[in-house]
Amino acid sequence: MVELSTILAGFGDAFSLINLAYVLLGVVIGQFVGAVPGIGPVMAMAIAVPFTFALDPLPAIAFLIGVNKGGLVGGAVPAVLMNTPGTPDAAATALDGYPLAKSGKPLKATKMALFSSVTGDTFSDIVLITVSAPMAILALKMGPVEILALMIFAFSVLAGLVGNSLVKGIIAAALGLLFATIGSDPENYTPRLIFGMWDLYDGLPLASVAIGMLAISEILRRLSETGGKVEAAIDLIDTGNPDDRRVTWDEYWSCRYVMLRGAVTGTILGALPGIGSTAAAFMSYAFTKAASDDPQSFGKGNIKGIAAAESANSAVVGANLIPLLTLGIPGSVGAALIISAFMIHGLQPGPLLFENQGRLVYGLFGAMIMANFINLWVGQLGLRFWVKVVTAPISVIFSSAILMCIVGVSMATSGLFGVAVMLVFAGLGYLMASFGYSLVIFIIAFFLGPRLEISVAQSLALTNGDLSQILRYPVAVALLVMSVVAVAYLLWRNQAIQRLEQKDDANV
Amino acid sequence: MTMPSDRLSGAVLFIFGLAMYFAIIPTFVEQAEGGNIAPNTLPNILSWMIAIGGAFLVLKPTPHQTQDLRYFARALMHGAILCAGIYAMTWFGFLYVAPVLALVIMVVIGERRMHWLALGAIGMPALIWIFITQILDRALP
Repeated sequence: MVELSTILAGFGDAFSLINLAYVLLGVVIGQFVGAVPGIGPVMAMAIAVPFTFALDPLPAIAFLIGVNKGGLVGGAVPAVLMNTPGTPDAAATALDGYPLAKSGKPLKATKMALFSSVTGDTFSDIVLITVSAPMAILALKMGPVEILALMIFAFSVLAGLVGNSLVKGIIAAALGLLFATIGSDPENYTPRLIFGMWDLYDGLPLASVAIGMLAISEILRRLSETGGKVEAAIDLIDTGNPDDRRVTWDEYWSCRYVMLRGAVTGTILGALPGIGSTAAAFMSYAFTKAASDDPQSFGKGNIKGIAAAESANSAVVGANLIPLLTLGIPGSVGAALIISAFMIHGLQPGPLLFENQGRLVYGLFGAMIMANFINLWVGQLGLRFWVKVVTAPISVIFSSAILMCIVGVSMATSGLFGVAVMLVFAGLGYLMASFGYSLVIFIIAFFLGPRLEISVAQSLALTNGDLSQILRYPVAVALLVMSVVAVAYLLWRNQAIQRLEQKDDANV
Repeated sequence: MTMPSDRLSGAVLFIFGLAMYFAIIPTFVEQAEGGNIAPNTLPNILSWMIAIGGAFLVLKPTPHQTQDLRYFARALMHGAILCAGIYAMTWFGFLYVAPVLALVIMVVIGERRMHWLALGAIGMPALIWIFITQILDRALP
């Protein structure tokens, strides 16, 4: 059990001036890039990870958390103003945000998104702080066989990300695992698939793979769609009525149950790795619409629609860290990038993190809570400015993003070889996305691959290669049963969400 | 115009999986004595999974439609510009290549306004230089 003094010391670290400064910087950058259509917090985090090299672990990870949280708030701005969500999570926000903005209330819509986002986020952070330490204690009781079963469980929850085609999901996972085998064999340390390039002996650099697949491939996709046109600025309608520029307390309070439902939905879905914030936002939106006395007003500028979507998608961020910190399993790409930041600083997320780095973990929790307040404060001050950001030309945004990716990867990998690897994976990511293969599954499988192979080797050694001996490990058996149930449940849930979204699209 | 894609990607993956299993893994994975898993076991299993998955997509494709070929051509062009820029960096360094690379990308996108071109080609590389070399005290590529 983590001692109270460690918890207090951690929270004390979180409130240091330098840490708060990095959280503030992360939130500002996150809100800024979230407001730029096509960039989004995941791409911003991917670019920012290598820049955290020079920082201590807590400010570095707190900075990334700030980028992630700020990005979700910023992502609502283009969704509301242009019907072009800066992040997929904000797509449900656009359903009511855009009609509200078109009716002359763009600031009211963006402020409601901000308030409900911070409310949902704070709720899930409190749940994270409460449940993660007890879960980590349970996880510590596991041996290699249980860890292998846990890894299988982690792969089974990827089924939640499969989308329309199970086969494509399996192929994406297999490709991620195959690329993870490049480097040295974990048992004998013989070179494997390095093609004479000894730079690959330690494996493909995670920063190159993540930035190539998530950032550069997306930039290539967006650039290919511009066709020599620089996107035009938008016209904002202002009615001149001060009430249309703010959210009153009565309006906020009238959404309390909507936000609570959204926060609970987002927290539950966020704690289950692989489901994601977009699904949470649409589910919360659908629940709210179904429970409303006036469902016809949804899709036409109902402020509760914004509250439902934003409280749910933001609640996923905190809850995503539950499997990451307790089991070392990333539940989303954002979480996978946070894991890479942990690893850059020599830390291995998982149950031992609470025991070995308890002060850091509680410092991180403190930073998350602070990030919520800073998000609210920066959002209040900055929304007027972020509204202007959506008009920035993509030419400047993307050329700058490319330069930052190059610099970031070269810093992370100490040279241009990593940048070349990034380009290769940018091409692969572009092709995979174009042909409908999940990049998220690929990245998570790539990250989990080496640990899976080591777990298999250790388990085989422990059981003398006799699979029936697994029956001697009841926790492992329970996890394997859970894996089967999870695959069945997530595939069913995935189809149900898709049906819900299609039905919602048809109604709007 | 979009085009159905699963048969094409499935065929490529099928060939890739088989090529990995029969040619690439035997050549580029060194074998070792001892251990619980041979170095080629996992890559071989994964190669078969990819090949079988690819074959399945060829036989039973989903209705997924991919982009028009001209989008691929444009992406290829931007990728080629990036490759050229990064190759040039190995010779001349980031400081000299970055402004040119940013300028070329912006012009290709269609940007013609001088103030935005100046911001992207001079302002941003300068900001990156200040941040990396002066604040973080790191070297640029």
